[in-house]
Amino acid sequence: MREPIPQSPLHAFGLASQARAVDEGCGVWANEIALLGYISLRGNSADPAFVNKVTSVTGVPLPVEPCSFATSGGIKVLWLSPDEWIIVCGGHRLSDILGGLRSGLEGIRSQIADNSGGYTQVLLKGRNALDVLQHASVYDFASLAPGRVVGTTFGKSSVYAHRMDEGFCLLVRRSFADYIWRYLARAAAPYGLGIAALEATGHAGHGVAA
Amino acid sequence: MTDFRIRHPNARVDFRRPLSFSFDGQVYPGYAGDTLASALLGNGVRMLGRSFKYGRPRGIVGAGPEEPNALVQIEAGPLTIPNLKATQVELYEGLIARRTSGWPTLAFDLKSFCGPLSRFMPAGFYYKTFQNQKLWPYFETIIRQAAGYGSAPEEADPETYDHRHRHVQVVIVGGGACGLFAALDLGRSGLNVVLLDEQNEMGGWLLSSPHTSIGGESAEAWLRAILAELQSLPNVAVLTRTSAFALHDMNLLLAVEQLQDHRPLAERSESKPRQRLHRIRADRIILATGAIERPLVFGNNDLPGVLTASALTTYLNRYGVAVGKRVVLQTSNDHVYQGACDLARMGCSVVLADTRSRPNTVWEQRAHSAGVDVRPGYGIAAAHGGRTTHAARLAKLDGEQNTVLAPGPLIECDVVGSSGGLSPTVHLYCHDGGRPLWDESRLAFVAPEMGRAEAGIFCTGAVTGTFGLQAGLEQAQRVTDAVLASLQKSATRKARNLETDEPDSIPARRIFRVPDGKPEGHGKKAFVDFQNDVTAADIHLAVRENYRSIEHIKRYTALGFGTDQGKLSNVNGFAIAADAMGKSIPEVGTTTYRPAYSPVTFGTLAGAHEGDTFEPRRYTAMHAAHVKRDAVFENVGQWLRPQYFLRPGEDRDAAVRRECLAARRTVGIMDASTLGKIDIQGKDVREFLNRIYANAWTQLAPGKCRYGLMLDENGMVMDDGVTACISDRHFLMTTTTGGAARVLTWLENWHQTEWPDLDVYMTSVTDHWATAAVVGPKSREVLAKVCSDIDFAPSAFKFMDWREGTVADVPARVFRISFSGELAFEINVDASYGPHVWEALLEAGAEFGIMPYGTDAMHVLRAEKGFIIVGQDTDGSMTPFDLDMAWAVAMKKPFSFIGKRSLARSDTSAPNRKQLVGLLTEDPTVVLAEGAQIIEQSDLEPPVPMLGHVTSSYFSPELNRSIAMAVVRDGIQRRSEEGRKLGRDAVFAYADGKTHKVKVVSPVFVDPEGARQNA
Repeated sequence: MREPIPQSPLHAFGLASQARAVDEGCGVWANEIALLGYISLRGNSADPAFVNKVTSVTGVPLPVEPCSFATSGGIKVLWLSPDEWIIVCGGHRLSDILGGLRSGLEGIRSQIADNSGGYTQVLLKGRNALDVLQHASVYDFASLAPGRVVGTTFGKSSVYAHRMDEGFCLLVRRSFADYIWRYLARAAAPYGLGIAALEATGHAGHGVAA
Repeated sequence: MTDFRIRHPNARVDFRRPLSFSFDGQVYPGYAGDTLASALLGNGVRMLGRSFKYGRPRGIVGAGPEEPNALVQIEAGPLTIPNLKATQVELYEGLIARRTSGWPTLAFDLKSFCGPLSRFMPAGFYYKTFQNQKLWPYFETIIRQAAGYGSAPEEADPETYDHRHRHVQVVIVGGGACGLFAALDLGRSGLNVVLLDEQNEMGGWLLSSPHTSIGGESAEAWLRAILAELQSLPNVAVLTRTSAFALHDMNLLLAVEQLQDHRPLAERSESKPRQRLHRIRADRIILATGAIERPLVFGNNDLPGVLTASALTTYLNRYGVAVGKRVVLQTSNDHVYQGACDLARMGCSVVLADTRSRPNTVWEQRAHSAGVDVRPGYGIAAAHGGRTTHAARLAKLDGEQNTVLAPGPLIECDVVGSSGGLSPTVHLYCHDGGRPLWDESRLAFVAPEMGRAEAGIFCTGAVTGTFGLQAGLEQAQRVTDAVLASLQKSATRKARNLETDEPDSIPARRIFRVPDGKPEGHGKKAFVDFQNDVTAADIHLAVRENYRSIEHIKRYTALGFGTDQGKLSNVNGFAIAADAMGKSIPEVGTTTYRPAYSPVTFGTLAGAHEGDTFEPRRYTAMHAAHVKRDAVFENVGQWLRPQYFLRPGEDRDAAVRRECLAARRTVGIMDASTLGKIDIQGKDVREFLNRIYANAWTQLAPGKCRYGLMLDENGMVMDDGVTACISDRHFLMTTTTGGAARVLTWLENWHQTEWPDLDVYMTSVTDHWATAAVVGPKSREVLAKVCSDIDFAPSAFKFMDWREGTVADVPARVFRISFSGELAFEINVDASYGPHVWEALLEAGAEFGIMPYGTDAMHVLRAEKGFIIVGQDTDGSMTPFDLDMAWAVAMKKPFSFIGKRSLARSDTSAPNRKQLVGLLTEDPTVVLAEGAQIIEQSDLEPPVPMLGHVTSSYFSPELNRSIAMAVVRDGIQRRSEEGRKLGRDAVFAYADGKTHKVKVVSPVFVDPEGARQNA
């Protein structure tokens, strides 16, 4: 039997093979940040036991301020709603974070759900990255400050967006990823769309872990 | 061919860049910077079409969006655009334009024969004449042929469109003097500003009056300096060719930007959109939309060669075209004088009939020195001509009353211009609730300077009735200060010299319809609305027929209904109606100004919502595997699901039959990833499920699954699915594919609003799991080949159990559940590994002839077992009891459940409700139409009581006959032993004119004992 090889939501577009170093030739550069670990977390941010435990397991201070996110040690925690977060980590960290949360939050009102197959991220940068977002969404992305995350519309679908690498990072549901990529590519076409080579770190597959 | 060009240096056309274009098959020269209208007039082309109703010759009247007549068809094939106004079409090399009226030819128009009969075609002609309903389709064909304008393209639009959201502090509509001036001050203050104008360059009326002086500078130099500074400000965006067409609540301004239409076809960019819809949300809006000159209404005022006076000025100064050499002008006001002087200075002979007996003396002197023949106290009673204008008959007017004192001279001319004053462009101001105010001193409906400041809407310039340039600039400064103050900012500006060379203006004469000495309707036709052939007499007739509301007069006469939306005609129409009724203009009021200000293409409104970005298409992780196997897909919600897999030589029926038999006889595999999956955790999860579902969850042990029915508050089934107990505080719920989002919202809503005390959280994991259902007698053997850490023995892994294990080296949850009634396992893995596991299962099943099957086969398989599909076999009015599913309702749970109380309502528990049953046709080959009506007897003599309808109907390969599910009144009794004895099970199904005898039976057609799923 073949070795299990994971496929990311945008696998069909073959982006990895088109990736190249960012230059001035295109106004928009994008790519999928594929195959990370995603953990859906819910709990009461007013409960210090919950907040402390999550913080100690992830090593990232749990962002309790609305529309904020925090990163540390390659782990990113996005605030999604007053009692809902998503933890993004490298695949190699997924098992131990999931395990740590499950045992650490035993008896504390909370929910931990592995959602790694359910999400992907799209990196969007270049001088016209903001234009692309303004073609796709009513949200005023120019006002999106560093350290802020916003859930908003994207065409007829939705994304969670924050600034990253002088550009934007869009958190996208697997089943909508195809639509969002096509919409993004269409919006970017007038400016020239390049597939950006990603930095090598932290983007490896998350292996077999559940 | 006569050349009407006057090549002066102030013209905005580039005489060094000649272009050629064609109109109605003839090639003409033009210049870069021309509009199609200016180029046609420059070539002496007068007649461009025939009128809508009477077939009268028509030509260009205006110079912008107000143009009623010159509707043209641009280009051909998929790029063709119907009904553009020639005054708004920018000329490019090779442009091809055609007329849109005049049938069969421009010179010979059938309708023109109606001209002499026109006294028999009054307002309301169509309403009055074509009352025979049966003959109407015949009349309609002829009328449409005769009355139509341009043609819509018949091929798909090859161009693209997009939308762009903008968030700004101030948007300024209109790039005339006031708009530019406001933009400059706001830009200098550092505000984020968008300035837009529908024309190809900024400047507005200044482009038509380039030698006006502002603060000692020429308008042209003043304009250049401001534009240069605006371009240098990074916080100011200047958008030309951008028409603001709607202003909505919350200061949402919609504007369409033309990005391509002005370029030659070969130079258009394939990667760039043709038009862009800007959706601008602004803290403040400044409307500097200017005004449009309205003509006076007089006899034969629709002849080709009769234009508005301002259009003549614009064609001369901006485009270097003298529309005629011998000009007769008439006016009620001062605005026409500058243009009259300009025309005279450029060598035209100009007679100016000023309807006022005492014109503005300063202007009169300037006109005399320019060589204009001013005739105070005269108006034009009628123009003379046919396909062009030959002469104008003047009349001496009474100084007070709008009556004729004496006939005047007939003056030979080749063009007539008239000015009845300026009508402010108040449209946007009125779109979201503002009403314009009638200003009697200016004879205009105006928007107030402070607009609706509390909503952030301000107005400046001609739109407020401030028609003078200097007064407008001073006002723009005032409004800018108010806008800045409202944003807690102040202007940082030095004192500026805003002095202009305009004389002080004197009041206009209150005149709309120039009298010809005859009663209305007896002289030459005097048109108010050119596009819809509405005359002053028509408005009088409507009033005589007792139409009193201006909205009704508009609809009866069609005043202002054209693509120009009455920009020239409305105010004249209101005033003439007011006179006819003996009311004041404010008493009559205006019709309603609605978006769009000028026509907008469907492509612009659609933007990127077309083609493969029309709607989200949701794909499962295994999509490529299905494509590879020739799946035909169907939309389910937004998901694309394989409907069936076509093999060579098969049709749909054959494919579905093969797939069904595989699942029943050997093994099939289906992608069930689209089912909604909701992970629910917390110590109160059982209690939560007890309340959400109709059945009980207290006793379900970890490792077990249960089917549940979810009811709404009315006790009606809203969703169903299997929920598994992962642990005492952790359950996994599945929902229908289309119901996933609704159910999650439902759970959250009840939890947050009614039961926040319950310790439970829920999260969608629909996209995380890829699900493969392996179905059929051989499914156990297939699973055993790819999974060694689960004991598949029937005694160890029972129906409705689930196990955790490793399938094809991937961690998996395996559920022994069945939507087919067969032995079946659903394997759930992280979706990233879905394709891998799918292929591994197909490989493992190959020796058993495993076949992927789609939703068609799934429907047949489930119907053979009588399993419902919520939304197909239910319709929001079905209780669990109607579905004969009392077993899925636990009435004795300690806390209530949603819908419980409603199940006891008299109607819900009444006898004779529609209930779910099976149907077997007498003829086993007949597959009933879904939706077929169930009736008691085959007799179709009305009334025929309806007992219910067929909800699902298929041919069952397993049974080799048709089967159906239906909801039928008292169906459960009908199919009982007692019902059969009474013959109540024999009913008929009616659809498409055919009646079939059917028998009401149990909906479980295959394996009623459940031996297979428990095997």
